[in-house]
Amino acid sequence: MSDHQEHHDDGHHVNYFKIYIILLVLLVISVVGPIVADVIREVTGVAWIATLLTLVTAFGIAVYKAKLVIENFMHLKWEKRIMKWMLTTSLLLMALMFAGISPDVMNHEGTNWRNVAAEAAVARGIDSGEEEAVEEDTAPAVEVAFDVESMFNIVCATCHGSEGLGDGPAGAALDPRPASFADPEFWETRDMDRIVQVITNGAASVGGSPLMVAWSASFDEGQIQEFADYVQTFRPN
Amino acid sequence: MAFPKPQATLRSATGIPTGRLAVWWLLASEVVIFGGVLGSYLMHRLGHPEWADAAVHTNTMIGAFNTFVLLSSSFTAVLAHQAAERGDGKTAAKFLLFTIGGAFTFLGIKSYEWWYEISHGYTITSNGFWAFYYTAAGLHALHVIAGAIIMGIVAFDAWRNLELQRVELIGIYWHFVDVVWIFLFPLLYIAK
Amino acid sequence: MSETAVAVEHHADHAHDHHGSEGFLSKYVFSTDHKMIAMQYLFTGMGMAVIGGFMAYVFRMQLAFPGISVPGFGQVSPGEYNSLVTNHGSIMIFWVAMPVLIAAFGNYCIPLMIGADDMVFPRINRLSYQIFLLSAVILLLSLFVQGGGFGGAWTAYPPLSAVGDYNQTSLGASMWLVAVALEFVAFLLGGINFITTLMNSRAPGMKAYDIPLVCWMIVIASILFMLSVGPLIAGAVMLLFDQTIGTGFYDPARGGDPILWQHLFWFFGHPEVYVVLLPAIGITIDVIATFARKKVFGYKMMLYTTVATGVLSFFVWAHHQFLAGIDPRMANVFTITTLLISIPIAELCFVIIATLYGGSIRLTTPMLWALAFMAEFLIGGVTGIFLGASGADIYFHDTYFVLAHFHYTFYPIAIIGTFCAFTYWFPKMFGKMMNETLGKIHFWGTIIPFNIIFIPLFVLGMGGQHRRIYNYEHFPELAGEGMYQLRELATYALLVMLAFQLVFFYNCISSWIRGKKAGKNPWESNTLEWTTESPPPHGNWPEGLPNVYRGPYEYAHPDREQDYWPQNEPA
Repeated sequence: MSDHQEHHDDGHHVNYFKIYIILLVLLVISVVGPIVADVIREVTGVAWIATLLTLVTAFGIAVYKAKLVIENFMHLKWEKRIMKWMLTTSLLLMALMFAGISPDVMNHEGTNWRNVAAEAAVARGIDSGEEEAVEEDTAPAVEVAFDVESMFNIVCATCHGSEGLGDGPAGAALDPRPASFADPEFWETRDMDRIVQVITNGAASVGGSPLMVAWSASFDEGQIQEFADYVQTFRPN
Repeated sequence: MAFPKPQATLRSATGIPTGRLAVWWLLASEVVIFGGVLGSYLMHRLGHPEWADAAVHTNTMIGAFNTFVLLSSSFTAVLAHQAAERGDGKTAAKFLLFTIGGAFTFLGIKSYEWWYEISHGYTITSNGFWAFYYTAAGLHALHVIAGAIIMGIVAFDAWRNLELQRVELIGIYWHFVDVVWIFLFPLLYIAK
Repeated sequence: MSETAVAVEHHADHAHDHHGSEGFLSKYVFSTDHKMIAMQYLFTGMGMAVIGGFMAYVFRMQLAFPGISVPGFGQVSPGEYNSLVTNHGSIMIFWVAMPVLIAAFGNYCIPLMIGADDMVFPRINRLSYQIFLLSAVILLLSLFVQGGGFGGAWTAYPPLSAVGDYNQTSLGASMWLVAVALEFVAFLLGGINFITTLMNSRAPGMKAYDIPLVCWMIVIASILFMLSVGPLIAGAVMLLFDQTIGTGFYDPARGGDPILWQHLFWFFGHPEVYVVLLPAIGITIDVIATFARKKVFGYKMMLYTTVATGVLSFFVWAHHQFLAGIDPRMANVFTITTLLISIPIAELCFVIIATLYGGSIRLTTPMLWALAFMAEFLIGGVTGIFLGASGADIYFHDTYFVLAHFHYTFYPIAIIGTFCAFTYWFPKMFGKMMNETLGKIHFWGTIIPFNIIFIPLFVLGMGGQHRRIYNYEHFPELAGEGMYQLRELATYALLVMLAFQLVFFYNCISSWIRGKKAGKNPWESNTLEWTTESPPPHGNWPEGLPNVYRGPYEYAHPDREQDYWPQNEPA
């Protein structure tokens, strides 16, 4: 049965209470540290000392506290080496994961690319959640060179076709089919306001198909107006 | 014991008892799970400095108190282990119950904290910071709940001086839950 | 104390006495015996393979004959097509390859091959199967809910997978995600069992290098799985929240990033392919050693190369994302690591070939499958090199070239590997020999059509045929007669291959009912599972667990007349 009590015959004797007290003291320091850092920042105006102090007290102490708990409470200090290797491997893999992913997620620009949406978000600041997320003025703070015809071909033509006939390759499988802007019947029930409305908020907002999605998150009012004007050019006379 | 253990369970070619070996492997997999959540959070947090506006609304004092609660519960867990080593099942069970008490205290405080934040409009869908906040802390809380339940079962056996080796095992798991919180606390509360 | 392997053995002898009369439920449904749990995984996995194969049949018919009313299914709508390809891929990887290769054969073989009476945690073993079964049920149910099964590809990239309006299968999408997450949990639990059992429960005298390679491979695979799946579990929780409660983890407009999902997915996804590859290689090498009557050429070489492959597999994942808009500087790094990883795999191939060289080859059905595994996987491997080079991948990405590549790797792993293992261990599992003639007919009837299915797909891919398109008639440059002929050829070959599987099922059943009785060791193999009855009784060696005196591949030893030397025979 269970007479496999392992006694730690390495002869270690840790004073668990002492470790506990050290942990509590470290906790207090880690809470007080950033408060002190803020005061330093306000008083001296020097940011880097404050940041360093926060890093050391909040995160450095966290690492040290974790080490104390892991080594002494979990007895990893007296465990066979293979377990230490194995846990270290897990941690190293997390570092690897961070290193491999952060260039894409954390950076907002590289040698050949820019994450425009993220830059815009940082620039205008995402609301802190004090109210329910409100539809903001969607003008991005970052100017992007916008050519409506090429943008139409990239974004719209897959469904609507490059001539606006509703014959784009992705459109073939949709039900209902995408609108053809060369169809006179289409224009009988649409005016400019409605076209702008559909592009901005999606067709579902006017009772149409959810497959025509809302583009307000990607384009601002001026750009959407340019799209609407461009769509007009397909209208038969 | 109702369930007969196979001889396989009792062997130990590595010198580490199988139960403890298994718990270490479990922890290795948990490290990468939490590492995934926290790593993703860290990338986003560093890339979105404007989230500081949201982060300022977390309650550092409550977080600190919860840290104190979990550290104390780790202390009682290791005292339970010490008792189990001596063969004293009843004391071990008593300390495990204190640990479970710590778990419930932690969960109770967290429930209050979240109720307060949600009623002030900081919900999981409010913005990116809050989404990560509730997800990471929520995943942690799930592990606290699971740990408390298993600890209860181990305590029940230990009270009758059965399966005392499991006191150490649930303790190791519990310390891990504590370590995760040791990192969650600065990430979600202090780093404003 | 349990410092040495000679623990308190006699301790639990009394434990097995009470298994006098077991009810049906406790013996078959709620069993904790590793062999029964292995059977449960095996049959569930094979059942799911039939379903996944049916899905392939349906969508290949649609591709070759657009608009056809597929016999047994009806006309395929675009949404249904998306669901079929998504679930075909998911089922084959998560509910066929993993349960059969790792859970079934791992559960069956590891305790037997290391001389143990069961896994170290039999009840957790049972729990892991129950969670797995639940995941399979949820996945199958997802096919019948409103909207149908998830249609966002097995890779489930957001925003397509996150927004129900886009994928049009919002309930199916969440059920799919929950099913996958449960499957992960089941395999995490199972993995802990396998790893701990191999590390701790070996027979007295079995040192690390006396463990049969297939056990090492399955355990290393479990380790790879455990270390890689965590970030994806995190990512899946985030995706589930995006799908159901409206968070924006992967929505750029809300501060998220869809590329994050891709990275989290492939950080797991790439080691995952090695997770399924390693057991197949292990099975192959063990079968080849037995039927070449020869020691494995480089046991330690294989072991260390496998570990190196496992380590490297964590460094290559973004080669799936070369065209996703990742930082091009990272693409450089990942190209180099991807090309590097082909080296240890090539190493393994050479070891296998060297093992065969000079051997006394017995071309039994399992041996044929093992040889076919090597040949077909080789083609898969070398075509991967084109894809790993980011420059070439610009053209090949998302074409059928990729698809043919991974079928030339996955199919040998999941199908050929399964048949190899199944035909090899059938005598042990069921106590009967399979019919060799039928086995060989099934073999050729599977292998030849398999090649005729996928070589045309390489050609189509090079011709620019993109993946995940339901009807190529919408793309004039891909709708030429030559291309349709290739599609039809592949589809006809698939029909032939599926028809030959009937031979296999017939062989299984008729052998089980009235096959020749297999003795303990019909293949004259060295490893421990062949030293007990066929099938082994509960407890595997009721008269006493074996001790081990040598390695597992002592064939044709010069000092002996018999050309094999079982591990448990004293010197």
